[in-house]
Amino acid sequence: MSDALIDALNPALFWEYRLVLLRGLAFNAYVFFAAAAVALLIGLAAALLRVNRARPFRWVGTLHVEVFRNAPDYIMIVWVHFVLPLLLGKLIGQRVEFSPFVSAVIALGFVYSGYFAETFRAGIQSIPQGHLDAARACGMGETTILVRIILPQVVRRMLPEAVNQFVSLFKATTIVSLIAVPDLMYQVSMVTQQEMRPLPLYTWAALTYFVVIYLVAGSLRRLSEHWRQKIYA
Amino acid sequence: MDAVPAIRVVDLRKSFGALEVLRGVSFDVPRGSVVSMIGASGSGKSTLLRCINRLETPSAGEVYIDGEPMGGRLSDISRMRRDLGMVFQQFNLWPHMTVIGNVIEAPIRVRGMRRKEALALAEECLARVHLSEKGKEYPARLSGGQMQRVAIARALAMQPKAMLFDEPTSSLDPELTDEVLTVMRELASDGTTMIVVTHEMAFAREASDRVLFLHNGQIEEEGLPDQVFGAPRSERCRQFLSKKLQ
Ligand SMILES: Nc1ncnc2c1ncn2[C@@H]1O[C@H](COP(=O)(O)OP(=O)(O)OP(=O)(O)O)[C@@H](O)[C@H]1O
Ligand SMILES: [Mg+2]
Repeated sequence: MSDALIDALNPALFWEYRLVLLRGLAFNAYVFFAAAAVALLIGLAAALLRVNRARPFRWVGTLHVEVFRNAPDYIMIVWVHFVLPLLLGKLIGQRVEFSPFVSAVIALGFVYSGYFAETFRAGIQSIPQGHLDAARACGMGETTILVRIILPQVVRRMLPEAVNQFVSLFKATTIVSLIAVPDLMYQVSMVTQQEMRPLPLYTWAALTYFVVIYLVAGSLRRLSEHWRQKIYA
Repeated sequence: MDAVPAIRVVDLRKSFGALEVLRGVSFDVPRGSVVSMIGASGSGKSTLLRCINRLETPSAGEVYIDGEPMGGRLSDISRMRRDLGMVFQQFNLWPHMTVIGNVIEAPIRVRGMRRKEALALAEECLARVHLSEKGKEYPARLSGGQMQRVAIARALAMQPKAMLFDEPTSSLDPELTDEVLTVMRELASDGTTMIVVTHEMAFAREASDRVLFLHNGQIEEEGLPDQVFGAPRSERCRQFLSKKLQ
C-alpha cells in the first residue's frame, strides 16, 4: 500500500479529535430530529389537504408536494438561508435573519415534507372505507376518527417506507455545513484547516455515519416489523 | 304497545346522480320488533340502511329515531348515530385494536365512559356473542364468524336503541353463518329492535316480526313473515322467493 493510502485509512487523527467531532455528530442528530418533526407535521398537513374533498385544498396540497419533492436539498438550504430572509424581511418590513441551524431545519424539513406527504397520503387512502363507516356509525367525530382509526393504521403501514426516508434525511444532514451549521463535516473541515490532513478524517467520518445509520435504521426496521406483525398476521 | 316507533322512515328517496336507488320508502319499526328486509342485489337495501344512520344523505324524506328527526348538523347526526348500532357485511373491525379495544373504543371516545366501566361493559357484550375468551386477540387471528360476532358486540356496547344489520352473514362460509345467526336470534328474543337485511330466508321467516321485500327502490311487498313467505301478493316477490328457496 502506498503511504498516502495508509495515511487515508489511519484512525489516529480522527481519534485525537473525537470529542470535537462527536459534538459535530450530535449536531447532525439535532438537525435530523428537528427537521424530521417539521417534515412529519407539514407532510401530514399536506397529505390531509391532498385527500380533502374540496378541490382547491387538493390543489394546494399537490402544489406543496410537487414543489418540495422536486427541490434539491442543497439548493434549498442555501436559498432558505440567504434569500428567504430577504423575502420575509420585505414582507414584514423588518430585517430578518435565520441562524444556520434554523435555516437547515426549515429547508430539510420542507423538502422531506414533500416525501412524507406522499407516504401519508398513500397510507390514508389505503384505509378501507368500511373502517371509517364503522367509526361514523358508532357516532365518532371526524377528528376522533383521524386520531384513533386512521393515523395509527397509517403509521404502521408507512413505517418501512418512512425508515428509508429517515435514512435519506439523516444523510442529507451532512450538507448543512454548507451554511456553517457546526455538524460533523463542518468540524472535519475545521480540523483540516489546522492539520492539513483531510483524507483520514473523511474516511472515518464516512465510517461513523455508516455505522450510526446502519444500527439505528436496522433496529427501527426490526421494531416496526415486530409491531406490524401482530396486526397483519 | 307504545305509539312512537323506534325507527320511522317516511318517503325516503335517494339518487346517485341520475340513478334513482330509493324511490319513496316508508315503514315503521316498533320498539322491540325485528324487521327483515329482503330483495334482489341492487334493489337498494344497503342504501336504505345507510340512509337511516346518515352514512348516505337522503335526497328526500325523513327518518325519525324515537320520534326525533335524524339530520341537521354533523354533531347532531353523530349524537343520533350512537343510538343505532350497525353491523356490516365486511365486519369492518379496526385491525390495529384488540377485540376488547374494538368494543370499548366508542363507549370511551363517544360516550365518555371511563375505561374501567367500558371494560366491564365490553365483557358483558362479548359474553352475549359467546366470545368472552377472545378479548385479547387481534381481529386478524379470528375466523370470519368470530369477527362478525365481535362487530356485533362492538355495536351493542353503544347500548343502541336499534341495531341495523347489512347482510351480516353474506361474506361468511356456510359453516360459519350459524354461529352469527344464533347470536342474532338471541338478540331478537331479548327484545332488541333490529332491521336485518339478509339473504337467509329461514332466519327472516322465523326470527322477524315483519318482512319487507324491496324491489327497485320501493317496498313491493310487506307483511308478517308467514304471509310474505307463504302467500306473497306480488308476482315479483313470488319469483324472488322461488329462486331463493330452490
Ligand atoms: N355510493 C354510490 N354511488 C353510486 N351508486 C351507488 C352507490 N352506492 C350504491 N349505488 C348503486 O345503488 C344501487 C343499489 O345499491 P345497494 O348497495 O343499496 O343495493 P343492495 O340492495 O344492498 O344490493 P346487494 O344485495 O348487492 O348488497 C346499485 O345499483 C348500486 O350500484
Ligand atoms: Mg347491500
